[in-house]
Amino acid sequence: MPSTENRGLAERLSCELSAAWAIAKKDMRIYYFKPNIIVSGLFFPVFMFLAFAIGKNTQPGTLIPGLISITLLFSASSIEPVSIPIERRVKTFERLLSAPMSLYSLVTGESLSGFLYSLGIACLPLAIGVIVFGTPILNIPILITSMALTAFCFATLGTLFAAYPTENVGEVMSILNTVRLPLIFISGVFIPISTMPRIGQQIALVSPLTYGNDMIEYAYTGKSLFPPLLDILALIVFILVFQVTANYLYKKFNE
Amino acid sequence: MQAIEVSHLIKKFGSLTALNDISFSVSEGETFGFLGPNGAGKTTTIRILTGVSRPTSGTASIFGHDIEHDTIAARQSMGIVSENSNVYDDLTAWQNMMFSAELYHVGRKEREKKANELLKKFELYERRNDKAHDFSKGMKRRLTLAMGLVNSPRLLFLDEPTSGLDVQSNLIIREVVSDLVLEGVTVFLTTHNIEEANIMCDRVAIINKGRIVAIDAPESLKKTIQSVQSIEVSFDHNSADQLDKLSRLSMVNEAQKAGDKFKLYTEDPSEVINAVMGYAHTHNLKVVSITTLGPSLEDVFIRLTGLQRTGEKIHAID
Ligand SMILES: Nc1ncnc2c1ncn2[C@@H]1O[C@H](COP(=O)(O)OP(=O)(O)OP(=O)(O)O)[C@@H](O)[C@H]1O
Ligand SMILES: [Mg+2]
Repeated sequence: MPSTENRGLAERLSCELSAAWAIAKKDMRIYYFKPNIIVSGLFFPVFMFLAFAIGKNTQPGTLIPGLISITLLFSASSIEPVSIPIERRVKTFERLLSAPMSLYSLVTGESLSGFLYSLGIACLPLAIGVIVFGTPILNIPILITSMALTAFCFATLGTLFAAYPTENVGEVMSILNTVRLPLIFISGVFIPISTMPRIGQQIALVSPLTYGNDMIEYAYTGKSLFPPLLDILALIVFILVFQVTANYLYKKFNE
Repeated sequence: MQAIEVSHLIKKFGSLTALNDISFSVSEGETFGFLGPNGAGKTTTIRILTGVSRPTSGTASIFGHDIEHDTIAARQSMGIVSENSNVYDDLTAWQNMMFSAELYHVGRKEREKKANELLKKFELYERRNDKAHDFSKGMKRRLTLAMGLVNSPRLLFLDEPTSGLDVQSNLIIREVVSDLVLEGVTVFLTTHNIEEANIMCDRVAIINKGRIVAIDAPESLKKTIQSVQSIEVSFDHNSADQLDKLSRLSMVNEAQKAGDKFKLYTEDPSEVINAVMGYAHTHNLKVVSITTLGPSLEDVFIRLTGLQRTGEKIHAID
């Protein structure tokens, strides 16, 4: 009977979601205040940004969208690459791997904590923009959508990299940084994509930050490289690809 | 339906064969022990049965649910206590319990009731609001057990539940497990403590180098090697070469010194008793005590796994 099947499915889904939420809550309790997470999630993007912004001759207010996007990138992807290797070392990760939930929910639960963390942190540049520089926001719904999708995308990226089977936080971080540092330069945050050489423009297309940053830019200025709908679509595709890859890797490395 | 059904399980890590064609089944309500030395493949078996690791070949099912294809259903009825006390140091005992319950979809009312009950049982209730970071080894072990029971499992996996604990923690854990058995919970436990296997298990599988070498009730296992019996004897005084001389008596296969006693292994106890009496007489010794002993599970274990006797008296092969 389809009705009982549906009920079974709905129940299954609610179980999966509540287990994912339990993992997210646990991560928030334990890791949000760890010093190395605060350093890589908060100070790192701020100083990185200042280093580039200071030399430039632009109005500081116009830099707010870029600051928001790299803050999202760094903070969203800095929880799981720390928490998962630690949990592997103290064997609590086995608990999650043996729980009655699918790997998709595990990856989602892990990513949720990075997602919420980075949305919280990104409120800082957002507030600075509004309060200090009076930077106008043209489209608030688009801003919220873009920030949420970007945050979730990079949180999932963080969980994906944490699949690397090591108990050493530094190892995951260094691999992750070889990816996320170059992202800043090829995604139109510091250097507008239109001024980049052709090869650079092509590389920019495969960076999720390009679309996140583009959409945040649109929310502020009404101008963007792609229509917002395309940005949304691209970010969703990246999230799905990261999810599936993470799923595959966690399964593969789980000998 | 069997609680656990394992058929021709093989697990390879590269060129290392950790499990080499293992088959067994555990019926509902049974306490089943996996006894083996370090590296025998005990934890590997549990990791496969809980769906964390996948077998190279062979199948395993839990209450009829195939662990590879119906993983979530199989896991729902399990409690898992891993060999490391893997609690969250940064969470309180209570938060650890709640987290574990939420992972297993236990409703709010039920999980609070269950957590209260279990924390009291494991004598952790007074410390429920302290972070696990400050707990002693035994307390962490007990908390790990409590977390494994919070979903009221029908099948409990215990990977070396009491290894390295003091008598009191040991007692609490054994008591709780025997209560569970009365409630009809199936228990799969691994241990290298022979006494523990003997006391707690209905059946024991002896595993060595990834192979099950024997599988039976502890008492029957002892009977299988009736040939290894022993005489325990003590004299009023001992000389330095006593052990050596005793080991050369006729029919003595092996001699060991245990405190002020000597243990002589033999297939023919009455012959050895005669020889010992003669020996005492010629050396002017008085026999203070002499006892015949049947084979212990320890003897079975050493026999079957081909381990060498090293210490004076081995209770646990650690
Ligand atoms: N992930 C892994 N990668 C490679 N080899 C492994 C892995 N896990 C276990 N092994 C090997 O498999 C064998 C069995 O290990 P296992 O942990 O199952 O032993 P055990 O019986 O639980 O031992 P112990 O009493 O020390 O806990 C060992 O030789 C071990 O080195
Ligand atoms: Mg083990």
